[in-house]
Amino acid sequence: MATLNLKNINKSFGATQVLFDIDLAINDKEFVVFVGPSGCGKSTLLRIISGLEMATDGQIIIDGDDVSEAHPVERGISMVFQSYALYPHLTVYENIAFPLRVQKKTKEEIHAGVMEAARILKLEERLQFKPGALSGGQRQRVAIGRSIVRKPKIFLFDEPLSNLDAALRGDMRVELSKLHRDLDATMVYVTHDQIEAMTMADRIVVLNGGRVEQFDTPMALYHTPNTKFVASFIGQPSMNFIDAEVTGLNGGLEVTLEGNVPMVLPVDTTDAAVGDRVEVGIRPEHVFYAPGAGVLNITVDILERLGGVSMTYGGVAGCEKFCAALDGEAPISEGHVVPLGVNPEDCHVFTKNGIALKRQKLPALV
Amino acid sequence: MMDRYSLLEKIGLYIAIAIFLTFVLLPFFEMFMTSLRPLDHLRSAPYKFWSDEFSFDAYSNMWVTVPKLGRYIFNGVFIAGAVTVLAMIFVVPAAYAFARFEFKGKAVTLSLFLAVNMFAGAVLLIPLYRVLRTLGLLNTYFAMIIPGAAFLVPMGIWLLKSYLEKIPKELEEAAYVDGASKMYTLRRVMLPLAAPGLVVVGVSVFIGAYAQQYLFAITFNQNSDYMPLPAGVFEFIGYQDVVWNEMMAASLVGVLPVMLIFLFMQRFLIAGLTAGAIKE
Repeated sequence: MATLNLKNINKSFGATQVLFDIDLAINDKEFVVFVGPSGCGKSTLLRIISGLEMATDGQIIIDGDDVSEAHPVERGISMVFQSYALYPHLTVYENIAFPLRVQKKTKEEIHAGVMEAARILKLEERLQFKPGALSGGQRQRVAIGRSIVRKPKIFLFDEPLSNLDAALRGDMRVELSKLHRDLDATMVYVTHDQIEAMTMADRIVVLNGGRVEQFDTPMALYHTPNTKFVASFIGQPSMNFIDAEVTGLNGGLEVTLEGNVPMVLPVDTTDAAVGDRVEVGIRPEHVFYAPGAGVLNITVDILERLGGVSMTYGGVAGCEKFCAALDGEAPISEGHVVPLGVNPEDCHVFTKNGIALKRQKLPALV
Repeated sequence: MMDRYSLLEKIGLYIAIAIFLTFVLLPFFEMFMTSLRPLDHLRSAPYKFWSDEFSFDAYSNMWVTVPKLGRYIFNGVFIAGAVTVLAMIFVVPAAYAFARFEFKGKAVTLSLFLAVNMFAGAVLLIPLYRVLRTLGLLNTYFAMIIPGAAFLVPMGIWLLKSYLEKIPKELEEAAYVDGASKMYTLRRVMLPLAAPGLVVVGVSVFIGAYAQQYLFAITFNQNSDYMPLPAGVFEFIGYQDVVWNEMMAASLVGVLPVMLIFLFMQRFLIAGLTAGAIKE
């Protein structure tokens, strides 16, 4: 059992406040990812959970115990650093053994612990090497080995993959997911990479400017973002936004997009009024090539044919940088105007304050 | 590639190195030549670069002219060594604190240390004499060791501080998260990584101590049993004659142990000990 509750966490460095009233309840054995742009406070929040930083205000509760003032070891956490933080003068064996040596374990216990970690991480062959002789992925595994050897309740990862090249990052992502399954532990993982977040997380915390924007499952964040920020942050490539005006509330939200395109969108209209300015969000993967039945007309600026999809960049009325992921075979070319279709139920609507109007027709998965 | 040189550049480099080395080593060469000459050669004209009368006699005679020469050589190395040990005991924890902890008055104390270094030892000789007399330390080894260490601690702190600052902070944080105490981290993580820095600082302190002990020795010590070599060579200056050849021989022999220590230490001055600690 290892639940983690953050209650009303605030953090200031001098006069600058970096975290505002963070409240999170993380379940046992959950893999939670903190994601957000750089400077959003995600690493600071992780360091507060680890005990490396003290919160200015608020409580950290692990398994029901208030550990706000406790030492990292008493909290039962272990941490993997972005930079690995391996001890370069010690062998892999000694690096992994370090936490056990600090605890003054017997020689046999240390040996058993190190061999177990080495087996899980496939480092048996490398135990007598110094970190300098290892590849990036192996160093990362040693860092993970050092964190699992103490058998903590909660694992903290601070952007552990950001120093690896793309291919290795993909492999390590899978390995980390497996590790989570095998260790059956609670994990908190910080990244700025939304793909890492989407692929590994049970639930994702989206942070922006020191505040929690949304805490939900990856699919819920994708399909029902609470705010425009979450909508644009989750999903690759980013969602497109087109300015629109509310023209009626009969049978859905009647809007007129820039360029005089009328649409009826199936969203909650409780908070909307005729005449409101709104933004309609459309994901690139939700538009399609629609000769003769186009809703939007895109002037194709750049066309990237990737085989399966044709990434199409250009301007539509109300959005100068529109991106559409069209069919790989779509008969289009740069410099031409192409008609695009979109289903009204795939559209998101945001008020001028960036708050989403609830979508009413959702895919079955959510 | 940046580190490839053309032939011309290489020749230029070697010429520059040769000029520099000549400049540095010529005095030693001349010391050596003087130590080989018979005394009456020194003032003879024309200057003789080579002579059949050259001999190593000075190297055996010097021990007779100055019977305590061996003792002086030992004292010189011993005092400098003791100064180094004493200074490092203060330098290491202080430099660690300055490198890692935030505390009130950090900037002020650091600049004060620098300011202290700007006083030449000579300015403080008289006050120091009075202090040492009050403490009853005149004419002891301590009279040369304690002021020697005190003058070198600030420089050592500055040098080691900048070295420790280069060691990634994450290593300490990792040790902290794993439950290691500050002292354990210092002993098991920081100091092993700082080894090259410690050697550099230790060597600098040793050189400084060896060079400055002359002043303290002739001022605070009258007991010839405690004299270090730089003060001891004065005994080659007789009432009638200065035994230059033996003095040079003694100086060379006296520097020898120090040179050997440096040759040995150089092996520790290898770079790249932190390779693999963090991402590059």
